[in-house]
Amino acid sequence: MPPKREAGWYKNAVIYQVHVRTFFDSNGDGVGDFAGLAQRMDYLQELGVNAIWLMPFFPSPLRDDGYDISDYRSVHPSYGTLEDFKGFLSIAHERGLRVIIEMVLNHTSDQHPWFQESRSSRDNPKREWYVWSDSDTKYRGTRIIFLDTEMSNWAWDPISKSYYWHRFFSHQPDLNYDNPAVREEMWDVMKFWLELGVDGFRLDAVPYLIEREGTNCENLPETHAIIRELRQRVDEHFPGAMLLAEANQWPSDLRPYFGNGDEFHMAFHFPLMPRIFMGLRLEDRKPITEILQQTPEIPATCQWCLFLRNHDELTLEMVTDIERDYMYDIYARDKAMRLNLGIRRRLAPLLDNDRRRMELMNGMLMSLPGTPIIYYGDEIGMGDNIYLGDRNGVRTPMQWNGGWNGGFSNADPERLYSPLISNPVYGYQSVNVLSQKRTPHSLLSWMQHITATRRSTPVFGSGSIEFLYPANHRILAYVRQLGSETILVVNNLSSAAQSVELDLRRYKGNILIEMFGRNIFPRIGDLPYLLTMGPYQFFWFRLRKI
Amino acid sequence: MAEENLLTDEFLRQLINVGEVDIVVGLSTHNHAKTVGTVIGAIQSGILKCFPRERVAIINADGGSQDGTTELVTNASIDDLRRNSKLYALRTLHSISVRYARLPDPSKALQTILAGADLLRAKTCVIISPDSTTIEPDWLQRLAKPAYYDNFDLVCPIYQRQKFEGALVRNLLYPMTRSIYGSRIREPYGSEFAISGRLGTDFLGGGIMNQDWSRMGPEISTTIFALTGKYRVCQSFLGAKPPSSRSSHDMVAAMRRTVGALFASLDGNFPFWSTISGSQPVPTVGTSIDVTQETARINRKRLLEMFSSGVAQLGPVLGAILSPSLLAELQRIAALGIDEFEYPADLWTRTVFEFAASYHKSTISRDHIIQALVPLYRGRSLTFITENRDGPGEEIETREESLCADFERLKPYLLEIWADGK
Repeated sequence: MPPKREAGWYKNAVIYQVHVRTFFDSNGDGVGDFAGLAQRMDYLQELGVNAIWLMPFFPSPLRDDGYDISDYRSVHPSYGTLEDFKGFLSIAHERGLRVIIEMVLNHTSDQHPWFQESRSSRDNPKREWYVWSDSDTKYRGTRIIFLDTEMSNWAWDPISKSYYWHRFFSHQPDLNYDNPAVREEMWDVMKFWLELGVDGFRLDAVPYLIEREGTNCENLPETHAIIRELRQRVDEHFPGAMLLAEANQWPSDLRPYFGNGDEFHMAFHFPLMPRIFMGLRLEDRKPITEILQQTPEIPATCQWCLFLRNHDELTLEMVTDIERDYMYDIYARDKAMRLNLGIRRRLAPLLDNDRRRMELMNGMLMSLPGTPIIYYGDEIGMGDNIYLGDRNGVRTPMQWNGGWNGGFSNADPERLYSPLISNPVYGYQSVNVLSQKRTPHSLLSWMQHITATRRSTPVFGSGSIEFLYPANHRILAYVRQLGSETILVVNNLSSAAQSVELDLRRYKGNILIEMFGRNIFPRIGDLPYLLTMGPYQFFWFRLRKI
Repeated sequence: MAEENLLTDEFLRQLINVGEVDIVVGLSTHNHAKTVGTVIGAIQSGILKCFPRERVAIINADGGSQDGTTELVTNASIDDLRRNSKLYALRTLHSISVRYARLPDPSKALQTILAGADLLRAKTCVIISPDSTTIEPDWLQRLAKPAYYDNFDLVCPIYQRQKFEGALVRNLLYPMTRSIYGSRIREPYGSEFAISGRLGTDFLGGGIMNQDWSRMGPEISTTIFALTGKYRVCQSFLGAKPPSSRSSHDMVAAMRRTVGALFASLDGNFPFWSTISGSQPVPTVGTSIDVTQETARINRKRLLEMFSSGVAQLGPVLGAILSPSLLAELQRIAALGIDEFEYPADLWTRTVFEFAASYHKSTISRDHIIQALVPLYRGRSLTFITENRDGPGEEIETREESLCADFERLKPYLLEIWADGK
């Protein structure tokens, strides 16, 4: 029985992003599968998350880790069967976990039967399901997204002797959304999964659905019309199902994807993420507050999705050149860590395995306005392997224990879909779930605690935010408010102890109650409220007037 | 370490909010609203251009401005609160102002800035004059870089001067500092300079700033402190020195602050300078800048009048300072006409040394000694102008080098009269 989908459930969600391949292998073939994932739902329930975002699990040649789909209505045999998926879905729902799956609307694999048909002949009924041209000069000036590997957005097809459009890898031809048949088919695909019981979709690469000459082929009005149409159908037939936009754009360009509450329910706040990393190393809140100052208001039913890391490179597309250079120099001095316009590292290595910084970053993730996403493995501080190519270094097997294959699989280690992280610092022998479960003060235990604290109040998910601007720029402080409930969040971005005076006169008379230890702090009076904070420390205070 | 009475509660609170920085830029102001806007804009641009990643703070020590100077300085802050700022900065730039006194006191102003830099653990402190309207953003890098990156403790400026500009520096401060302390610092009394955190801390804590000579001329005292200690010193080419806003009536004040401080420094530093002979070049950074043609008109006759009347009217005073033979020579040249007048380098050098020795012995009031030097300096200026009137810039450099050689050659004379009776 799926959890009841109350309106706006996603606003108070804590989402866990995982690829089924990476999590747990139940049949010993070296690849994670749905049966294995189902066995690990207790773990996620204990962690405290209440939603799972699954990365693509569809049949695919896996040249882009599953984002190159060759069959939208099935499960890749390596991960199990459709029945296995249904079994997992059922167990997830029993534990109160909603399930969001990927839906790659923009493109397919070139191995998809649709493309095979489309390319076979100019007369084929599916010819216009993709974007074809006799020359590669159309839509000139459109930026190339995968800069490290692609030289053009057009690829020559030797079979049909014409060019096809691809915004990503050349083996991922773009679908033609000007074709009503394409739009109808993709709605049918979505309906298929919604009828099975999935709770929502992360729609990949949505800005690029439509191309028009003389534009940058991103964020076009026609694209938004398509999204509105999808949303209207979802609301009508599957109320409560959620649509999450993957659109790596500036906040002002992201805003239209919410429409008037009639397009996406949620969108990733891409520009905020690198600025949190930047603010931490600069020891200066300026990058964070400024991007949030530029973030427009969104409809009340909509929500930002916040994240620290994910399966892709830490993208530096939405920063200035000076900021990008700074981020590279600070976080990716080794050029092998850089990919496209980003950094392919996990959270713990980016933070030098500094427990205090990991806590602070997760504290901001959980308290800034939006729905937080935890990338699998970051809750135990997993490391990465930059030598695995592409972004595979952040997609290594989950580390369950210090034993055979880190408890991920019984297969021969050589058979694993990816080698485990095995160095002495981040290797599975030292960083694993079992060890951390036995340690009350482990990172995992701490993540459970903060997730529970986050979920203990709807303020973080649904409340307003007002920044305080103390003169000490190393302190990021803000007030979250929902109805009569007020929470003060104070973060020390510095590696050194700091003192800060906060102007809280508006809240005069309130007592501060620190939310983790539940100890009381002095009452707010007329004078600036003085706090002293240790390196990278943060406070969540509930304000109470008694 | 910084003295408590330099730090008001408000200044301390501002410093706490700024936190640790890499570079401090200090300005000492008093009613500089007409010029400080230009200067602070160039500083801001220099920081954003040359040190975009470094933690930099501007500290303004103000001596009681009533014209809005401090607001102009504090408005240079770039932070997330000022949303209308057109300037892009990677990180927050604090620009803070503190009123250190009701009346200007250059020594206390410098102390305040250095105390702030010390508490903020700045690696480098750059001092900029609020009068320097010719400042370019790159000045910040030219001053700070040798200290910040190359571990120099003191970076003195070299200005591009007009032909007859800086006569006091060329004819007295440079050659004398060079011969006494053995170091060829062209501008020992620069309005702009940079010091390392190490030097700043030692300077504050060494008790130097409580000494009279240091209070008289904090800039030159910083240079002398560095030269007499184990500090690495260099000089850096900047740009055009802004024209002085001071009138000729300010020459006495300028002499007190520069020559007075230099003379006073000789007492305590005797063990150091008495053993030095000759001088060493100082590492110089940047591209040399040519002397430019003079644009101001100089009244040579007026200079001669000031010299001659000074020699005549101050006869008894000069008699208490100078040797009879030197005084006689001055009286002789004072009678010369404008076309024949010459105050030779040798005579000038001995004049300066005899003044220094008399200052050391306090034959009369030290302040009177300094005042008495002013008309004589006018005479030397006249010769400087006359000698260099028609020639190119290179000739000025050649004559200056020759004057320095005279100072170094005659240093034993200073040592001889230092301890003796006059």
